[in-house]
Amino acid sequence: MADFTCLVVEDSPMMRQLIVFALGRIKDLHVTEADDGVDGLRKLASARYDIILTDINMPIMDGLKLIQRVRTDPVHKETPIVVITTEGGSADRDRAIRLGANAYITKPIQAPKVIATVKELLKIG
Amino acid sequence: MAEDRRPSRSDAPGHDLSQERDQFLRTFSKGAQLTREFVEEYESLQRQLQSLQAENGRLRAAVEADDAIRDLLKKIEALESEKRELLSHYRRVEEVTSDFNARFHEMEDDFANLANLFVASSSLHSSLSPRAVTRRLKEVLEQLVGAEQFGVYLVARDGRALDPIATSGLPPDVPAPEHLAHGLLGEVARSGVARIDDEADPSLGSIEKPPAVFPLQIDDNIVGVVAIFRSFAQKTKFSTVDFELFKLLGQHAAAALMSSGLFAQAERKLPGSEAFGDLGR
Repeated sequence: MADFTCLVVEDSPMMRQLIVFALGRIKDLHVTEADDGVDGLRKLASARYDIILTDINMPIMDGLKLIQRVRTDPVHKETPIVVITTEGGSADRDRAIRLGANAYITKPIQAPKVIATVKELLKIG
Repeated sequence: MAEDRRPSRSDAPGHDLSQERDQFLRTFSKGAQLTREFVEEYESLQRQLQSLQAENGRLRAAVEADDAIRDLLKKIEALESEKRELLSHYRRVEEVTSDFNARFHEMEDDFANLANLFVASSSLHSSLSPRAVTRRLKEVLEQLVGAEQFGVYLVARDGRALDPIATSGLPPDVPAPEHLAHGLLGEVARSGVARIDDEADPSLGSIEKPPAVFPLQIDDNIVGVVAIFRSFAQKTKFSTVDFELFKLLGQHAAAALMSSGLFAQAERKLPGSEAFGDLGR
C-alpha cells in the first residue's frame, strides 16, 4: 500500500494529540500538525497532502477560511477535507460542506469514526 | 395299317422300379420338407439368439450403469459428508472470526478510551499555572466530554460556599457562589458522591437540573465540584468513557488545581530537594 500524508489543523494541543493518536491506527499514514489556519496554509504550501483534518473555531484563521483557501489552491483543490468541530448544528455542517468539506465530525470525537472517515476518503480497504 | 412306334411295354420301367421311384420321390419330398422346416427353425433360432444376445447386451449395459450409479451415489455421499464437514468448519471459523472482530472492536474502543483518559490526564498535569490548568480543564470538559454549559467550583476558605472558578456557556449572572449547605452541588461537595443521571439526555439538561455533578477530591478532602448543566446537542448520552473521565477529572483536576494554586502562592518557586528529604527514610 502506498504511503499517505495527512495534515491536522487544530489549535488545541490536547485535541491534536487525540486525533494523532487515532490516526496512528492507520498504517502508512504520516501525520503533520498545524496550530491554526495560517500554520496550516504554510504547511500546505510546502508539501502535498492526501487529506486534511481541520477544526473550525481557531484563532488567526478559522477552519472555514482555510477550506476556502484550500479549494482555490491548484495542488490541493481536490484534497479531501474533514471538519472536526464542536459545532453540531446543521447550518454549520451545511456551510462547511458548501465551502468544500468532504466530511463533518462533531466533538467529542470517537476515534473509530475518525479512522473510518479517513480510510473511506483515502479509499483504504 | 400304321406301324405302332410306341416303345414296347418292355421299354417302360418295371412295376417295382416305378414303385421304388415313387417311394423315393415321396421320401425325397418329405426330406425336402423336413429340410425346409429345419432351415426355418434354424433361422428362427438364429433370430431368437440374436434377440437374446441383444437382450443380454442391454442387461449388461444396465448392470454396468447401475454400478456406475452406485459409484456415483457413493461419491455424492462422500462429497456431501465432506461438504457438511467443510460447512461446519466454515461456521466454526466464522464464529471465531466474528468473535475476533468483536474483540478487536472492543480493544479499539478501549484503546480510544485510554487515549482520551491519557490525553486528559497529561493535559491537566502539564502546567503549574492555575490559569492554564483551568483552561485545560475547560478544554477537557468541552472537547472530550462534550459539555456546553458547565461550571467548576472550589470550596471557599470558610468552607461554607462553592466559588465558581471557571464557567462556560452560562449567562453572566449564573455563576454566583453556591451555598454548600443547599442544592445538588452542595450535596455532592458534602458527600463526595457524584450525581450523574445516566438515563436522561444531557443535551436537555439545565442549571436547575444538571445531568452530571462530580466532586473534585484529593484523598478524602473535597476541594470542589464540577457541574455539567448541559451538553452539546450531538451529545445525547454519557458513555462509559465519560464516567471514567468524571472519575479521572475528580482526582486529577483537583490535584492539578491545588498544586498549581500552591505553586502560584509560593511565587512560582519550585520546592528544593529538602521538601522531599524525609521521604527516603
